[in-house]
Amino acid sequence: MSAAPWLVAALLFAAGVFGIVTSRNFIHLVGCLSVCQSSTYVLLLGVGYRWGAVAPVFYDHPPGTPAVDPVVQALVLTDIVVGATVTALLLAMAVRVHDKTGTLDPQALAPFPDRRR
Amino acid sequence: MTPVASLAPLTVAGPLAVAAAMLALAHALPRYVPDVIAILTALGVAAICAVLARHALEHGALVYWFGGWRPLGGVVLGIGFGVDPASAAIASFIGLLFAASLVFAWGYFDEVHAHFHVLMLLFLAAMVGFCLTRDLFDLFVWFEVMSVAAFALTAYQLEAPSLAGALNFTVTNSLASFMMLGGVGLVYARAGVLDFQAHGQAVARAGHDPVIAGAFCLLAAALMIKGATAPFHFWLSDAHAVAPSPVSVIFSGAMVASALFVLAKLGLQVFAGSADARALMRGLFVGLGAVSAVAGGLMAWRQRHLKRMLAFSTIAHLGVMLMGLASLTATGVAGLVVYFVGHGLVKGALFMLAGVLLATGQSIDELRLRGRGRGQWATGLAMALAGILLGGAPWGVLDTGTDLVHAAAGGLARPWIAAAIVLGAGLTGAAVLRACGRIFLGLGPQAGEEAHSPTDEETERADRPLWLMLAPCLLLLALALLPAEAARGLVARAVAMLADPSAIPARVPALGRTSAALGWASTALSLSIAAFALWRERLPRLLTGVADRATRPLFGVLKTPHSGLVGDYVAWIGVGLAAFSIALALR
Repeated sequence: MSAAPWLVAALLFAAGVFGIVTSRNFIHLVGCLSVCQSSTYVLLLGVGYRWGAVAPVFYDHPPGTPAVDPVVQALVLTDIVVGATVTALLLAMAVRVHDKTGTLDPQALAPFPDRRR
Repeated sequence: MTPVASLAPLTVAGPLAVAAAMLALAHALPRYVPDVIAILTALGVAAICAVLARHALEHGALVYWFGGWRPLGGVVLGIGFGVDPASAAIASFIGLLFAASLVFAWGYFDEVHAHFHVLMLLFLAAMVGFCLTRDLFDLFVWFEVMSVAAFALTAYQLEAPSLAGALNFTVTNSLASFMMLGGVGLVYARAGVLDFQAHGQAVARAGHDPVIAGAFCLLAAALMIKGATAPFHFWLSDAHAVAPSPVSVIFSGAMVASALFVLAKLGLQVFAGSADARALMRGLFVGLGAVSAVAGGLMAWRQRHLKRMLAFSTIAHLGVMLMGLASLTATGVAGLVVYFVGHGLVKGALFMLAGVLLATGQSIDELRLRGRGRGQWATGLAMALAGILLGGAPWGVLDTGTDLVHAAAGGLARPWIAAAIVLGAGLTGAAVLRACGRIFLGLGPQAGEEAHSPTDEETERADRPLWLMLAPCLLLLALALLPAEAARGLVARAVAMLADPSAIPARVPALGRTSAALGWASTALSLSIAAFALWRERLPRLLTGVADRATRPLFGVLKTPHSGLVGDYVAWIGVGLAAFSIALALR
């Protein structure tokens, strides 16, 4: 395996974190969180990749044919399900918070603002 | 497989099945039936885990392979639960705390569809699975289920402050789960398996390997975000302060500490062979624990919002637990396990008392509640006792845990560890005692630094019977006062089996006691600071003025990063990760 997937994963994670740190809108922030999450997909698929191997479906291949690692693919699938749940929950909370306060700016929404002195 | 081992999956499948059935039948169930079912389920989980712990202590750790996928010829394909005595005892304690919290929450929510109970049972199953699993990816899944249930419970009231706190909680902890998955991926890249034991062997073979070191950094950072230790702790004070009080009981009493317990388990079982991981734990993590203890104690002292005060005190005590586990010695990890239980009992009781005040006094603000608790002597005495225990008085379970952590710190020969523990515990105890004196005795008309801290208007349902809210709280405090000295031998044995689940230790010497002097020192500290705050109007103006002016810049520096901005919190996570890499590079 080359170093490229590792670099792409690190870059995606850093880009997502930068987006979250500088975000002024919760919907945008949730998008940035998804960018962070996609870095884990790249990392996991990169870990399991084998050059010249087939997909891990042995229906039309004889057993023993080199295949990419199916375990990490199962992990990625689980991760996608989990990610969808968290994104849905976050967006639902963002909708509710917008209903209540009329804003989606993290700076306006900060709980327990401590601005004295 | 022994018949006892087949009980292991029931601890997770049981609450999940009950939750699913309850969700399906919620519209048909009479009002208090979901409460009864949920309490009985939590007690059942606690009982099964206690049976498992006892069996494992006598006959060795149990392993349950789901679907019968046992390892064959050294190849591990299955997913297993590893039931060692320490993990099962922690899981049993979690079940007990859930039962107490559900009794406390009796009639708390005006709702017909039992969503609260379903979420609580899901949360319980996830936490038990998190403690018992011996598979890294399974660990990630339970971590995530636990997080999602916790996010939903934090935002349960759907008011603006609870939603804002829940958003910060969700964003930081989701980032933690991605880092955890990244760490799992990196370890898998080297070891090719996901089982703890097989991992441990692969890590030991790999020796000095940057991929393993990177994986450890990511996993440790993820667990320290969940375990809320500096500089990853910022979400906690927002989330625990806005969550409904029965939920905060679980958050502070069990959820955050369980992440540190799992970090100890990974340190002992998976990364024991990695010199990088050991160096990072014994070096940087001890320092981070000390920073959490002192900063958490100071921030707790500065609060007037009671739940926020308790949240910061949890951060301080998590710092003590981190110092215990970071030593990676049998004494230190035993300290973590005992401290987990002792702190969970006291902090659970304190959050219940905050809930009682929310219901009877209709406020959560210490200054507004002043004198409103007069006549509620049972509540007041319970809060004073909890404050004294939190402040490190040498009685009961929490003290035994503190003593073990002190003993482990003695092995590291860094005297500032003991100072950080005494200061952190003393300050949190002082904060609770100050609030107690103000609310129940009407003392302290003149507010100090706490007058400048943020507060919030919040109330909880007032028509619940007081005895029903106090009973679980008093039970937890009574358990916290039980002498844990006799358990030292059992804990030593359990920790030996946590480090090596395949062995049955013959005779493990009980872990020795240092002295009660440090406990008395921190009690004296908390009593004197609390007395200073409560009677400050009688002290010479010069003295209070000098004290205020001396501490003001310190509090100013400390409060700045606790901004409530999720972007800041994520930036601090980046700082923490950078500190990990620098510490590794300098090694």
